Amino acid sequence: MQPFAYERPTTVEQAARLLANDGARALAGGTDLVPQLRERRRHASLIVDLKHIPDLTAVSRTASGGWLIGAATTISRLGADAGFAADHAGLIQAARLIGSLQIQSRASLGGNLANGAPSADAVPLLISLDAQAEIAGAQGRRRVPVHKLPSGPGRTTLAVGELLVALHLPPRPPRTAARYLRFTPRREMDIAIAGAGVVLTLSADGSVADARITLASVAPIPLRAARAESSLVGHRPTQAVLTEAGRIAAAEARPISDTRGSADYRRDLVAVLTRRALEACVGEIASGGARP
Amino acid sequence: MSEIVDKSLAIVGQRVPRVDAGERVTGRATYPADFTRPGMLEGAVKRSPHAHANIKRIDASKALALKGVKAVVSAAQFPDIRPNTIIPFGETGADLWVSAVIVMARGKVLWVGQPVAAVAAIDRRTAEAALDLIDVEYEVLPVAASIDAAMAPGAPVLHPEHKAKGFEPGAAVLPNVGSRTVVARGDTAISLASASRSSTISVTVDTGHQGYIEPHACVAEADPQGFVTIWTSTQGAFQTEIQTAGVLGLAQSKLKVVPLEIGGGFGGKITVHLEPLAARLSQLAGRPVRMVMSRAEMLGGGSGPPAAARIEIQVGATADGRITAIDGRYLVDTGGIPGTPTTLLMQASAACYQTETIRLEGMDVVTSKPRTEAYRGPGGIQAAFAVEQAMDELSISLDMDPLAFRRRNAAVTGSVMPIGTPFPSIGLTTILDRVASHDCWRDPIAPGTLPRGRGLALGYWRGTSMTSAAQVTLTGDGRVTVTMGTVDLSGTRTTMAQVAAEEFGLPLDDVHVVMADTKSSAYSDAAAGSRVGRTMAAAVVEACADALGQLKRRAAEKLQSPEADVAYQRGVFRARAGGSMTPAITLSELMRQTLTDGAVIGRGVSTKLPFGVEVGAHVVDVEVDPETGQVTILRYTAFQDVGRAINPAAVEGQMQGSVVQGLGWALTEAIDYDAEGRARNASLLDYRLPTALDVPPIECVIIETPVPGVPYGLRGVGEMPIVPVAAAVANAIRRAIGVRVTSMPMTPERVARALKTAAAG
Amino acid sequence: MKAIVRCEVNGEALEALADPRDTLLEMLRGPLGLTGTKEGCSNGNCGSCTVLVDGAPVCACLMLCVEAEGTRITTIEGISDGNDLHPVQAALVAHGGTQCGFCTPGIVMSAVALLAREPRPDATQIRHAIAGNLCRCTGYDKIVAAIAAATAPEAGGAP
Repeated sequence: MQPFAYERPTTVEQAARLLANDGARALAGGTDLVPQLRERRRHASLIVDLKHIPDLTAVSRTASGGWLIGAATTISRLGADAGFAADHAGLIQAARLIGSLQIQSRASLGGNLANGAPSADAVPLLISLDAQAEIAGAQGRRRVPVHKLPSGPGRTTLAVGELLVALHLPPRPPRTAARYLRFTPRREMDIAIAGAGVVLTLSADGSVADARITLASVAPIPLRAARAESSLVGHRPTQAVLTEAGRIAAAEARPISDTRGSADYRRDLVAVLTRRALEACVGEIASGGARP
Repeated sequence: MSEIVDKSLAIVGQRVPRVDAGERVTGRATYPADFTRPGMLEGAVKRSPHAHANIKRIDASKALALKGVKAVVSAAQFPDIRPNTIIPFGETGADLWVSAVIVMARGKVLWVGQPVAAVAAIDRRTAEAALDLIDVEYEVLPVAASIDAAMAPGAPVLHPEHKAKGFEPGAAVLPNVGSRTVVARGDTAISLASASRSSTISVTVDTGHQGYIEPHACVAEADPQGFVTIWTSTQGAFQTEIQTAGVLGLAQSKLKVVPLEIGGGFGGKITVHLEPLAARLSQLAGRPVRMVMSRAEMLGGGSGPPAAARIEIQVGATADGRITAIDGRYLVDTGGIPGTPTTLLMQASAACYQTETIRLEGMDVVTSKPRTEAYRGPGGIQAAFAVEQAMDELSISLDMDPLAFRRRNAAVTGSVMPIGTPFPSIGLTTILDRVASHDCWRDPIAPGTLPRGRGLALGYWRGTSMTSAAQVTLTGDGRVTVTMGTVDLSGTRTTMAQVAAEEFGLPLDDVHVVMADTKSSAYSDAAAGSRVGRTMAAAVVEACADALGQLKRRAAEKLQSPEADVAYQRGVFRARAGGSMTPAITLSELMRQTLTDGAVIGRGVSTKLPFGVEVGAHVVDVEVDPETGQVTILRYTAFQDVGRAINPAAVEGQMQGSVVQGLGWALTEAIDYDAEGRARNASLLDYRLPTALDVPPIECVIIETPVPGVPYGLRGVGEMPIVPVAAAVANAIRRAIGVRVTSMPMTPERVARALKTAAAG
Repeated sequence: MKAIVRCEVNGEALEALADPRDTLLEMLRGPLGLTGTKEGCSNGNCGSCTVLVDGAPVCACLMLCVEAEGTRITTIEGISDGNDLHPVQAALVAHGGTQCGFCTPGIVMSAVALLAREPRPDATQIRHAIAGNLCRCTGYDKIVAAIAAATAPEAGGAP
């Protein structure tokens, strides 16, 4: 690996200035970046460590009842925040699938997103939850929906000199549940062969008011299954309806075959995981776990 | 020798903590990657990116010009070793040519990851930078990256000069076959034609990996007078010395191998990989050189994986369930160099059963992949995966309980082994009776919402004897030092301390065991073949008896009594004398008084011990998710006859570790080679060893049927318990979902596909 | 291009001169000579290099050494007090929870971190806590039993 300098800014503005340099690369938990650098899969001449910027490691509830999560907040720290965990158990569950506990001591939601992996476990639910990414750069700050960030395997729409500052999670509507299910051969320490992050909202009459389904590992970027979503809206979530939504989601998937699984298998898994995630959401709402 | 097995034992048979556990749990145990020498350089290996190519030219001038680079080697720096250069090893000897080609490609690369050059530099980064500067020109040749590809008509012939052995004169020799072996008795064709029921199973097994957590590493230091010392992690210090001396063309008087701690071997640390490279680089640079393999190198062709295989088995039986024929064809992937033996695994797979006729045909097939190396009961796992499924299928078609079917046909002491000779002591029926009465077999499977099933499979491994040497000396305070020529792969220091303590009747703390280097101990074979426990125990017992004999002569002199009247027990020599006073002297007092009269040296060498066959049965309950193909291991019970457990905790550790390793290959582990012979998953992320969450507790049932003529009646322990694992899981899956999965590993995708195929009719 | 890294390692403040490209693992094993922390994969997949950084278990191979500036690091060498083993270490010895020993330091660190946040873990919690630590010898049973025993009052209780 080529030599690089290391900087540790303490403000977003400093970080943005540093990241405007040629060959600069942002470092959050480093659990992806450090081995990528060593294996020469990524290159950098300047490493900008974002973990010492207070805004990037803060977790707070917003005035509107949503959450603001510093992009470099570790998964372990986020999971230990009782208030957040109560509001977003599904997202915490998803984030807890990233690597081992050792990885979660370092890894962050922002890093999971900015690494750009189609298999990122926390990203499908961030998308389905309508999270927004707050991005800072030389021109100031902008907010974009999370789904606008990934642009291909290992790539994002972040421009040179930009950094991901925080994630905004809107307040959860009533009768809403979120669940991410992935499939891996091992229970942990594995990469999703396929995954489905579902956010489901039921109306007072029990029919589906809103459904958001985002799939992992079946396209170059996390993929919204829009047709599966609309197949659900307005219907009661019967077994047949949920199964059909899974089938549609499978048809929407655009998987490849690789060492982790064939395209056919991935599609089959999407149908199963989508249906099961939907079932889990319905169950959670029915049991009152999803806040009235 | 202590042949009386039923004598009451004080220390042998006890659960004692490992004598070296303290240094392990504190991180003080020294593995070669932890070891440094003054002025030490770091080495690195340039590896082939091609699976089959001629090396046209190697130009290292740019690398040598890089600041900090001290030496570069390629094939030119090693003597040419021809095929069939036999060196001493175990029962059969080994071919030095294999080691030489694994260490450094000669003119031609045979797999991706084979070394083509190596560098020593002032630090790791400089060494790696130098690798990029070595210019290698290849002429790329066609690749055959699987058994099927290598045996296909028109396949590239990977070793044109090789003459396949074992074919009848005039018979067509298949491409890329190393050799052919047939074990046959009677006519299976006739027996199968007249059998009431028969089953045929065809399986494929993908290449696995031993998966030791410690990567290969060593430090070599050549002194100015030409003496070379190698500190390494190996299963056999003497085997490393012989291979390294041979590959370097160095007299063994000029080479010492010091075994440091070994972080797992499982068969993969018998053949040398780095040692000759480090030694040659050190000779050229005049400085010590450390080499450490990365995990990517290990999984990407730098180490020798266990063999892929394709096996077809047909078993015939009478209507009342008596086996009349076992007919099998075993194709074993030997990787880039011919010569992986097939005999042991063929015999092992059929050994548990009595049969009228048998015909087993085995071939090793050369492919453009890393040379296959041993893995815990080499080939036994693959063969049992075929045979035990065939037996299970036959029991289903006979409508017989799978345990009763096996009990009916089980090999017994004196029944005919596959090689045609009578079985020595074998406790298989005892094991099967224990299974029958155990809760793991009698309990109904715990209910669940997904399909569940219970599988049974038998395992057999012959184990070996080979040779071990030990020396016993006494300290000035009457304590015992045991110096052994084998490495401590699996707790040997502890078990041998137990043996010596038992023989001397002393507490465990009064014995110290030394894992010695090759210039401080006498030739012993490698820690392989489930042999060290028993063969080294026999050597230690003999060395203790020799030392005690010498001590007894000294005691007789001190006690002024005829030697024949002196008896030794628990640290005290007593003279048999009349009257009330029994003259006695303690061992410690005797040594205090006589140490300076000269050393006491007890000598023990054991070789060609009677067979200590390992047999066992495994019972597993699984749950299958039919939608994803995921298999969950719910409960696992392993039964094994170990003759006698020197340390039951260590035996359980071997059994539990074996089972979990076996579950890994059974379900998730395989090196995924593309058609060009490149591993697509050379990391521990995608080469999936089981984690603690993937496996249940493994219950162990230890059975003790002693082997006559062996100290304490010891049998081998460490290999058998991996043999039946994948087969037991496959049988459980079959019982759960009614479908057989015949490709190993039985990944979720393969299980799901098998179900889909079955559903499609 | 060398940088000075100031941090506390096993209770002692120290400064190390290191290349920013070095991982924390390389710094520990190289200039600091703390070779009890093992390198098994250099990719965060095996857990052999687990150390505690400000009390949290991390893979030292996934951290640049310069990230350690200002942190409190505990390695296996800092777990026992001289010859007095930590209850986890003592239990691993007593229960046969170490075989080849290469994964053991990492397992000890994960177990110590677990007991710090969950003094009475059940078997599932223990297996979860060591899921990032691959062991190829033991099959995990005796490790799980040892960690469970280390929490029992007779073993001296959790730290």
